[in-house]
Amino acid sequence: MKLHLGGHLAFYEAHKRSNLEVRLNGSVLLAELLRDLNIPCGEVALVVVNGAQASLEAATVTDQDQVAVYPPIGGGNGSHVQRS
Amino acid sequence: MGYGNTGKILRVDLSTGAAWAEGFEEDFYRLYPGGKALAAALLLREMPAHADPLGPENRLVLATGLLTGAPLATATRFTAAARSPLTGTYGESEAGGYWGPELKMAGFDAIVIRGQAASPVYLWVCGDQAELRPAEHLWGRHPDEVQKAIQAELGDERIRVLQIGIGGENQVRFAGITNELRHYNGRNGLGAVMGSKNLKAVAVRGRGRYLDLAHDPRRLSELGRRLAKEAQEHPLSWDLHVKGTAGLVAGLNAGGILPTRNFHSGAFDGVDALQWEAYEKNLLTARRSCYACAVRCKPEVAVGGRSSPYGGPEYEAIAGFGSNCGVDDLQAVGRANELCNQYTLDTISTSATIAFAMECFEHGLIGPQETGGLELRFGNAAAMLQVLEWIARRQGFLGNLLAEGSRRAAEVIGGDAPFFAMQVKGQEMAMHDPRGKVNVGIGYAISENGADHLVAIHDTMVSNPDSIGFRGALGLGVTQALPARELSEAKVQQYWIYENWSSAEKSTGYCYFGPAPRSFIQAADVIASVQAATGWEVDLAEILRIGERATNLARVFNAREGFSRQDDILPARLFQPLEGGALAGFALSRPDFDAALTRLYAIKGWDPATGIPGFERLQQLGIAWAIDFLPPHP
Repeated sequence: MKLHLGGHLAFYEAHKRSNLEVRLNGSVLLAELLRDLNIPCGEVALVVVNGAQASLEAATVTDQDQVAVYPPIGGGNGSHVQRS
Repeated sequence: MGYGNTGKILRVDLSTGAAWAEGFEEDFYRLYPGGKALAAALLLREMPAHADPLGPENRLVLATGLLTGAPLATATRFTAAARSPLTGTYGESEAGGYWGPELKMAGFDAIVIRGQAASPVYLWVCGDQAELRPAEHLWGRHPDEVQKAIQAELGDERIRVLQIGIGGENQVRFAGITNELRHYNGRNGLGAVMGSKNLKAVAVRGRGRYLDLAHDPRRLSELGRRLAKEAQEHPLSWDLHVKGTAGLVAGLNAGGILPTRNFHSGAFDGVDALQWEAYEKNLLTARRSCYACAVRCKPEVAVGGRSSPYGGPEYEAIAGFGSNCGVDDLQAVGRANELCNQYTLDTISTSATIAFAMECFEHGLIGPQETGGLELRFGNAAAMLQVLEWIARRQGFLGNLLAEGSRRAAEVIGGDAPFFAMQVKGQEMAMHDPRGKVNVGIGYAISENGADHLVAIHDTMVSNPDSIGFRGALGLGVTQALPARELSEAKVQQYWIYENWSSAEKSTGYCYFGPAPRSFIQAADVIASVQAATGWEVDLAEILRIGERATNLARVFNAREGFSRQDDILPARLFQPLEGGALAGFALSRPDFDAALTRLYAIKGWDPATGIPGFERLQQLGIAWAIDFLPPHP
């Protein structure tokens, strides 16, 4: 699985890398994978799996996926804005 | 026993050639400690009403922050302020680098310049002596040559030079000021003010030490040492050191708020060419710093394979000349940034004005006749660079028109053009879309100097209670993390705290990227640094009041010039849905936004109908004297 750690998320990775390749067997919860990599979930504002936004709590990933996670600044949750 | 300031302001009258020092007492500084607070107080007191921004009556203030020059990471900033030729409002812009600290060490907290020289001059400040010197031989020359020439003719390569490029000389309304070639007071056209005064440069050499001005130099040094260490160990400052703000591009694109083609869309299909990995590979050569700052975030670049003396693009220029102009060519972005720096043009207003012109061309409002045959469409990097050159020189119909800024250009072009000018009070919006971050929208609408993105922390930074950004906000008295697009009473109350904090940063000399919640210096340490420098028993409330006081002084300045609530508006496009990206379909709601502003005025103690500061709040802030400057009640 290709994992991009955007912004300051790379700070927490053991070698401060922004781009990793992670070998996975089967399907794992992204949140658990990030915990294993010592990336604090409180710093993750945005999750993109294979080009589509996903929820940090629910996302599962496999060896074939391309994942990017970003900290705040890049958008986030929200409400109170009218859709056209 | 000092209090962090020199107690002296240098006054210069370019019409008569006189320069003299004026002393101020400590109790004056307790209200207006430096930077924005000092500049706003001086401008309101001394500027005649309705002064022509490009005339001799305009004052240019260059004010160091309270802590500028201290051995503290990120506390290097100074404020340039005047009546803005772009907006007609109180105008200001901060910059870091080395010039501000040098001025403080020369023995002055600020310089106030009025009048107009009969022919080009530069000001030379050496210790507590100042003189005006001829600059005809420097006029028309670029900053790198001019800096060397001044240092050579004065015989000291340690002299720090603040100056304007040809954009300022030609009074482009959004021309800025550079110091040491890499640091910029970009916004509001303060470089045009210098140009109109025939003031090419201000050269400074100081030999003092900030610690000699401080109340408790030992405590300040210890704090400085600890902060220097923390800067290298904290994720936010680490990120700034490794990537600067160029690292924002990918995340903002993924989040659907990377301004694309004049704010039509929030995602750009050419983003891969503009994001950090491409920058690191194709532009970046090294990192440099500001005075005594351990964050060391300033990028050095090679453009077209050639090392540039002017420093590399940050986020605003990458988005402004990249996605917002539809350009996916990073070398073209690097070149556009370099030209802006060389000509001292604001990268934000320049790129936004060109994007405006591109949209006008796409809609047939201007054509090949106006563009000299150029296909000025989104994505045409060569056309973008050519128009930039014309603007700097006011060359041709289009160059001269766009040099006036997008609002005035739109009035001349007519038709739908005003809808394409993404400006507030005449200043172009920065590359942050309020449809994803409402506090940024409030800041754009209400900021005294027109659309400005550094008025308050961006919502996304503090919307997750588990994030380091929010934990940093706790030190400001904020208690609840709120969603980025919420516009409730609670959100507006928080906005007011964040705005006061940013205004206080601009007065104490801290960079936006130093203190929490944006970065690593916690509020308690900011307060401790002010205490150590001054000996004053300040607390958070007093720091926030310094900020609020400065904002109110600028607001009164504007009220006197006829600005009111009806000028606190946003471009119509922001109330229309984003056309692409993760937030496609989102728009701001006009009734909700208006209601938020009404609540905010009440919180600020301003008349909700007019947006003008009320007497009571001005008295509470210790600036009852400002009441005399308010326009008469109708």
